[in-house]
Amino acid sequence: MAIIDPIVNGLNSGWLHTDASQLQENQSFEADIIIVGTGAGGGVAVEILTQAGLSVIMIEAGPLKSSSDFNMEERTAYPNLYQQAAAMKTADKAIGIFQGRAVGGSTTVNWTTSIRTPTEALAFWEQHKSVTGLNRESLDPWFEQMEQRLNIHEWNYEPNRNNGALKQGCINLGWDYTVIKRNVAGCWNTGYCGMGCPVNAKQSMLITTIPAALDKGAQLISRARVVKIEHHNGQVFALKAQALDVNLRPTDVELLFKAKHYILSAGAIHTPTLMMRSQVPDPHSLLGKRTFLHPTLLSGGVFADAINAHSGAPQSIYSDEFVWRDGAEGELGYKLEVPPVHPILIASKTLGYGTSHAELMSQFNQLQVTIALVRDGYHPDSQGGQVHLTSTGFALDYPLTDAFWRAARRAYASMAELQFSAGALKVLPISDGMPYLTSWQNAKESIAQMSLAPLRTVVASAHVMGGCPFGEDEKLSMVNSYGQSHYLENLSVMDGSIFPTSLGANPQLSIYGITARNATALAQRLTDGREHK
Amino acid sequence: MNRRTFLLGTFAGTAALALGVNLYSPEFSVPDEDEAKDYRLLFSVLLPVMLEGALPDVATHKLAAQNRTLDAINQSIAVLPDEQQAELFELLAMLENRLGLLVLTSSMTPLLLRSPAELTQMLESWRHSYFALLQTAYLGLRELVMASYYACPEHWSRLHYAKPELFK
Repeated sequence: MAIIDPIVNGLNSGWLHTDASQLQENQSFEADIIIVGTGAGGGVAVEILTQAGLSVIMIEAGPLKSSSDFNMEERTAYPNLYQQAAAMKTADKAIGIFQGRAVGGSTTVNWTTSIRTPTEALAFWEQHKSVTGLNRESLDPWFEQMEQRLNIHEWNYEPNRNNGALKQGCINLGWDYTVIKRNVAGCWNTGYCGMGCPVNAKQSMLITTIPAALDKGAQLISRARVVKIEHHNGQVFALKAQALDVNLRPTDVELLFKAKHYILSAGAIHTPTLMMRSQVPDPHSLLGKRTFLHPTLLSGGVFADAINAHSGAPQSIYSDEFVWRDGAEGELGYKLEVPPVHPILIASKTLGYGTSHAELMSQFNQLQVTIALVRDGYHPDSQGGQVHLTSTGFALDYPLTDAFWRAARRAYASMAELQFSAGALKVLPISDGMPYLTSWQNAKESIAQMSLAPLRTVVASAHVMGGCPFGEDEKLSMVNSYGQSHYLENLSVMDGSIFPTSLGANPQLSIYGITARNATALAQRLTDGREHK
Repeated sequence: MNRRTFLLGTFAGTAALALGVNLYSPEFSVPDEDEAKDYRLLFSVLLPVMLEGALPDVATHKLAAQNRTLDAINQSIAVLPDEQQAELFELLAMLENRLGLLVLTSSMTPLLLRSPAELTQMLESWRHSYFALLQTAYLGLRELVMASYYACPEHWSRLHYAKPELFK
């Protein structure tokens, strides 16, 4: 059965797409709105603004890839679709970070988990971060709108055995668990969401809002990296970009973009980096600080029967038993989920080499992996990371604090308890020096004593947030609660960088809903002059 | 197969040609040939240690898998960002230089002349070092080798894994 590729069809129908790697000469572009980035923020904004009758140009540093390119192999997907070929790390290399870099941004490669912003996060932002107008009542209609737009529904099929073990463990232990809502339509349940959906079932920005905007005349420039925001007297007057070649290395071709309004949706890390490099006013030195990662620990459980964690919807169950247990500002909580298990991912995110590693890999299909995503940014000892400019790009310093390690120890214990309860024969906390644990009693004792340290303990992140916070108090925020810059009249930020803490939930739906609200307000302001304060 | 045969095989490059770097991911450039050869030698010494138990048992298959991995390593390096490439090249250059070896391993003996047990000892000392530099050297090499080996579908048989055939 041939899979129809909507991107190929769209391009054939005359979409305005420029692959900047093919440009030989400098070029200028002009529109009502320029959006930098095409992920969850830029993707939602472009559809809403185009529907409002505005002309919009999207600029994306990554390539335009589509289902014809998605061959379900990590060796193709990581270099094509991820920042730094999925090898991005914090400055000390203690945390590996997965972030998308292609048209559609991380929505092209995420695992489809769609969760509304937790009420606890919204309340914390209102009380401590001067965010206004974002509460359950005001935001839920926007989430409903985006859930309809992206076909977000509870996954009503049997979870795969990887998720099934998480569910069973929670049932056995009396822990909270939730069936995940996913943004899919006609999902084939193959398990390859992280490599780009091969059958266009995932309702990512790549195949929903971006094509809708292109159908209405929006323009897309791919393989172009915006390097500078030109601004003067509180106004942005242009963006400068560099064309990239097919290997995403800069060429000599420069591009200039002019618009009435500019939107940064380059994601946490890259939005603040661009603003810092452009010396955007930042009187309270907020840019790049408080960058959050949901730093994540892994625990491997070996089962007697096949788990086949590579197969089936990668995430369909989560447990919030421990996320908010000690209150938002209390000890760091953690969300329990599972990842898909694919060869490169698991080979590189485990421990050791030689026979011990080969033995672990030989149990590939019996391996159940549970992950604990630590909720950072609320506790006083959890201030997140800081992005610094370097001569060639950026570096992210993210200190792993004592509060984090206390959470890690509790998380390893919870994961081991859950995995044994679900039937694991043995459990391996993915931290160097730990042996296979053979019972919950054995695990409890070992984990209480285990040594935890950066580089020895495997820590990963797939959720980058913060660095350009929103709110009304200029001492705490760079943009207001509508994403409008406090300092540059015609600049907005619409992506995960505006979150003043982490979310305690997978971020895509939070970005969709809040961007829908803020882009709609911007569209109204730009089309009929009404202000939204 | 002894190590010498493996190294000769590497230099002859027949398996590498047969498997072809260009088949791997045609969009990305292949590193300079001389540079690539240098790293092939270095990694060809490390692979039998790092992939012990994972490589096939049959000698000819083992040789092919090692050579395939060397190609994949070059490809993995080629897609890394410039800063990460520069760091890696610095490490690799140190491992080929006697003073660098002395700093990293407390011995000037070239890696080529070290036994598998000595190479394991070197990796273990980095792995458990209190110096972040040595730990990151270990983790960098480990991640590169593991990711490159398991990138290749030819190496998945021991995992009993294959990607689905959706389109046939």
